[in-house]
Amino acid sequence: MNIAVCVKQVTDTEATAKLEPSSWRLDRSVTCILNPYDEYAVEEALRIKEAHGGEVTVVCMGPENATDAVRKALAMGADSAVLVSDPALAGSDAQATAYVLAEALKTFSWDLVLFGLRSTDGETGCVPGAVAEKLGVPLLSALSKVDIQGTTLTVHRETDEGYVAYECPAPAVLSVIKGINEPRYPSMKGIMSAKKKPLDIKDVGALGLDTTQVGLESAKTRVLSARSPEPRKAGVKVEDDGSGAEKIADFLTGAKLV
Amino acid sequence: MTQERDVLEVDVLYVGGGIASLSSALHLSNLVKAHNEQAAATGAKRLDELTIAVIDKGFSPGAHGISGAVMAPGPLKDLVPDFVEKGAPLEGEVKKESIFFLTKKRKLKAPFAPPPLNNHGNYVVSMSRLNQWMADLLEKNGVDLFWEFAGVEVLYDEGKVIGVRTGDKGIDAKGEKKPNYEPGTDIHAGVTVFGEGSRGNLTKELIAHLGLDQGANPPAFEVGVKEVWELPEPRLQPGEVVHTLGYPLKRDTFGGGFIYGMKDNMVSVGQLVSLDYSDPYLDPHREFQKFKLHPMLAALLSGGKLVQYGAKTVPVGGLYSIPQLSFPGGLIIGDAGNLFNSQKIKGIDLAIRSGMLAARTIFDGLVTDDLSETTLARYAKAVGESAEVKDLRKVRNFHQGMTKGLYLGMSKAVLQFLLGGRDINDRLDSKPDWRHMKRVTEKYGTASPSKEAIGEIDFDGKLTFDKETDVYYSGATHEEAQPPHLKVPDLNICYGKCTEYYHNPCSRFCPAGVYEMTTDEATGQRTLQINFSNCVHCKTCDIKDPFENIQWVPPEGGGGPKYTVM
Repeated sequence: MNIAVCVKQVTDTEATAKLEPSSWRLDRSVTCILNPYDEYAVEEALRIKEAHGGEVTVVCMGPENATDAVRKALAMGADSAVLVSDPALAGSDAQATAYVLAEALKTFSWDLVLFGLRSTDGETGCVPGAVAEKLGVPLLSALSKVDIQGTTLTVHRETDEGYVAYECPAPAVLSVIKGINEPRYPSMKGIMSAKKKPLDIKDVGALGLDTTQVGLESAKTRVLSARSPEPRKAGVKVEDDGSGAEKIADFLTGAKLV
Repeated sequence: MTQERDVLEVDVLYVGGGIASLSSALHLSNLVKAHNEQAAATGAKRLDELTIAVIDKGFSPGAHGISGAVMAPGPLKDLVPDFVEKGAPLEGEVKKESIFFLTKKRKLKAPFAPPPLNNHGNYVVSMSRLNQWMADLLEKNGVDLFWEFAGVEVLYDEGKVIGVRTGDKGIDAKGEKKPNYEPGTDIHAGVTVFGEGSRGNLTKELIAHLGLDQGANPPAFEVGVKEVWELPEPRLQPGEVVHTLGYPLKRDTFGGGFIYGMKDNMVSVGQLVSLDYSDPYLDPHREFQKFKLHPMLAALLSGGKLVQYGAKTVPVGGLYSIPQLSFPGGLIIGDAGNLFNSQKIKGIDLAIRSGMLAARTIFDGLVTDDLSETTLARYAKAVGESAEVKDLRKVRNFHQGMTKGLYLGMSKAVLQFLLGGRDINDRLDSKPDWRHMKRVTEKYGTASPSKEAIGEIDFDGKLTFDKETDVYYSGATHEEAQPPHLKVPDLNICYGKCTEYYHNPCSRFCPAGVYEMTTDEATGQRTLQINFSNCVHCKTCDIKDPFENIQWVPPEGGGGPKYTVM
């Protein structure tokens, strides 16, 4: 079973996020990492490959230095990668990203496309659904379990109450949640071999993309304004001198929480 | 999932990815490249398929790189002659500098910078940025860089170092293997170079194991606590340097403050405190916060914004504390070998120089196919003959002269300067930093000193910050599901003698709030809580604990601070 895993390079969740004031685009000059949710997707793809055979191909859209994130996925064990990188793509919104990824996915054959639930920077979670639509295959999102028998998938989709089990034939697009597995660490040998694995960097021309559908100008969404969240205020410390419960109850009533 | 331990064979292994190792690996790869190009022309033997690897516990290049920093550019110029054109991240050339003696409210300007502190022509740099830049050059040279891999054990074969084992990953808090358990790799190397920085955990073990410190003074350290701020307007030129002495340190404590101008209206402010202090209530983080309360600092930082926080120890033991730098199978470079000029407060130039000399020695050995102990010993000789180390001879007693504090120390320093480095005794005695701490009653004459006597302050959250806030700005994180990497072998000491004599100074000397003594109000049961995730890897605890009851071992690779501008 051949699997494509779509990944994104995001700014480190520990780094202070900064926006460029003119475009409201994220300043990506800080430390960047492989989107943490995507690690679960890569791990799941590798597990499926280990159980059922096939090849794992990483697909990414991003600036040139996104090769670092792609290399990490390769170091974990993916076989090859495609990075779509072109200045024309900068500022693309979720729809445009889905268009680019779908076009890249049309250039090779696969049985499953895996995504992490969402990116930790954009946080839209829309891309997997849009890609499925553009590829004309079913979407199964927010999965906590994926089982494969032949070409039939049995999956658990998380809901607030528990999960819903679905059955679906491949090909399909899946997005997986944190906790579906425990992503492996890249080993030193994995890191060394990742340097020699095929990494195909394609620009807009190579993919034959319609430039009116990508980039900041063509985005169908606009960021009108942005601000930093208010710094969190210090909490109230309740000292328990025997009346702790009462004080907490008073506090909750005062805050109209009970 | 891999369960078997991998063995990786390399030609040269660098343990620690700081400036010393990066410079050395860069120089070595340059020498090999030049050799091979020449060999292609002359038909001489090529050094093909040479593997040079660097391992580092940090998340990415420069993540654990921190320094003041002012750099004397000589060695960097020898390593990368066109470093300016190649875009080395220099904050600014030092064109203006001053020294102030501070009292709580006032400042006295020294009429000129004393010769050791003359920095004209040097550069203000950010260690994290310099490391990032150098790592890029190494990538281009084909050197294998492994971030997030900590060395946890030196591998020996009958007294010869044959490599290093990296730490296991995927071990939970109870020490059990998680589903993603990945055993560490045994890296076998022709030469293993230890460039672990100040108080390197493997270097410490190596020195003890091979007795490399025989006849040497015990190492001595200072801890530097630093913040980078962004100012609302230009107030200090990039490259401007200010050093201070005096306030807020008590007169029996040696140390000093610094203010360095960086690009983009950023400024690096920090303070060094010598770890041979005797006051069990001293808190280097708090003293640094007090430093910022001085009117000069408060005015400079007013309206500014904290960008990053960090702390790191500095090896200041000087010439007599340098261990034997070569041994069968390997070498020690940079801060790990205590190669630091405490009087000039400089180590970057020594780190680069020693790294380059190590590279030269290894290269010669590779060409002649002789990496014997005799060949490697040439490195130690070359280091001793370098201008930077000859300089150390002149200041060989500087730090030891400061043990009694600044005032007596300064007169000793002047004397030593006039005598070319000698003191009345040519080699001042020295005992390890942890042995300098005095009991609370001895220091304060009471078992419960007042806040005023201690010098405690409240942090305002604008100019001064508590440790938790500062640690947040260091970016320090660790995988929570792992055993604490701060080992306290005998808790009875903590609850017994240490409480009685010193009132648990770990909760104060740690600049990251790792150690906390908590008391259960109901039972009175006291617990030493180790917030290991806060750790910024400065190593103060490993040095200063008065019972040597804390051992710093590397956490799972990738943990620790994430410095970008330090």
